[in-house]
Amino acid sequence: MDELLSIELSRLYYADKELLRNVMLRVGTRERILIVGITGSGKTSLLSTLNLMNQSYEGSIYFQGKDIRQYPPELLRSRICMVMQEPHLGEGTVQDVLDEPLGYASLKHRDLSDRMGKIKALMKSFQLPESHLVKSVSQLSGGEKQRIALIRVLQFNPDILLLDEISSALDQTTSGIISDCIFANFPGSVIAISHDPLWQDRWQRIWRLEEGILADTTKSEVQ
Amino acid sequence: MDISYLGLGLSVLLLIFPLLIFSHLKLKLSGQLFNAFARMIVQLAVIGITLQFIFAQMNLWLTLLWMLIMVTNAVLTLKGRLKFQRRIMLPVLITALGTTSLIIMPWILILVIKPIPLYSPMFAIPIYGMVLGNSMNSCALALERFESGLSDNWKVYYTRLSLGANLWEATLPVFRKAMQTSLMPQLLTIASIGVVSLPGMMTGQILGGASPLVAIKYQMMIMISIFAGVSMTDYTAIRLYLLKRFDKYYLPQGE
Repeated sequence: MDELLSIELSRLYYADKELLRNVMLRVGTRERILIVGITGSGKTSLLSTLNLMNQSYEGSIYFQGKDIRQYPPELLRSRICMVMQEPHLGEGTVQDVLDEPLGYASLKHRDLSDRMGKIKALMKSFQLPESHLVKSVSQLSGGEKQRIALIRVLQFNPDILLLDEISSALDQTTSGIISDCIFANFPGSVIAISHDPLWQDRWQRIWRLEEGILADTTKSEVQ
Repeated sequence: MDISYLGLGLSVLLLIFPLLIFSHLKLKLSGQLFNAFARMIVQLAVIGITLQFIFAQMNLWLTLLWMLIMVTNAVLTLKGRLKFQRRIMLPVLITALGTTSLIIMPWILILVIKPIPLYSPMFAIPIYGMVLGNSMNSCALALERFESGLSDNWKVYYTRLSLGANLWEATLPVFRKAMQTSLMPQLLTIASIGVVSLPGMMTGQILGGASPLVAIKYQMMIMISIFAGVSMTDYTAIRLYLLKRFDKYYLPQGE
């Protein structure tokens, strides 16, 4: 497998508390990884370390062979994208929200030809009508907002998608639509935190965080 | 026309009216009233005597020293008023007010008023006071708005970062809002000048014997200087604050 990410952490901590030690992991392309563990076990800390949002660690993380700290942060974050539990969409129409990151310098050199075509295809697979593009975001339901937040990230083809409990506030149907869509269509790798049993069954690889240890299980034989 | 000390004493007698009102309402403000006016009288007397001295000397260094005291005072007042991120505030405030001073004052004195000598304290000091006082107030408001705009909703900021925004792109909306909040009232005041009220400086000049036509020219010049100074101070302060507030990964530091 093509190696995308190489995680070599001797220690991950939060304030005075040690969360994890000796984490050695490799992530390839198109992997689907689920992080599980009780509250406070360090799931979010681990996830946010990967896009430079958390600096409380010792060790190194390499993205495509280069230490993530060597990248301009915005560039790394446009390749390793995070979607949070309650994403902030801002104001205006759905189209405005999707267009907002276009002004960012980190996206200047991306090939964005046929971006609208991609957005429409994404909306279709996320089961959102195209007419939503002109709808004001304040009129959207929670599940619709979450899907728009995902489309906003996916339109730029990130290499890795980091998902932090994105389905926890959603009903089962919506959660299912989202997981189906990400699972089937996203060409990059996904690392997700979720408590949703619906999600837990589908992932090829599970990182279980327990008492400072990360247990890595690959379920490819089951699938 | 000068006011005699007897005349000034008689103006103090006017305070009988507020005192009567307070006593009628059993409003416990009389003590504060005496305190406030006593302070005002002492402070103005001291400043009047000092300025009288400085104006009489006409000395470049003495004028500069007094201006330095003024700006130091402004920085310290601001530092005391801003209750957040105290650790990084001092260099931010010094640079912001310093930059404004070094641009506005030479511009006004060398290009606009051209007094002889250029450092004539009777021009430099009052104008500097107006620019500095306004910049100080507005800077406090702008920095407060900028900080609360960020810290009231970090999620918004982090969402922008996680979409690939750099520090500038992620803070720009809050920066804009802070500037707007601090500059809008100034613009409203400027637009209402002359219609609603005669500004203090102009009133003072007219009372001091200047013709209204000279007084309005000074007033225009001072309003322009104040607005330019305020905008520069707010902008410089927030830009520097921004650099010290975040680390190289654009994460907030020094909580």
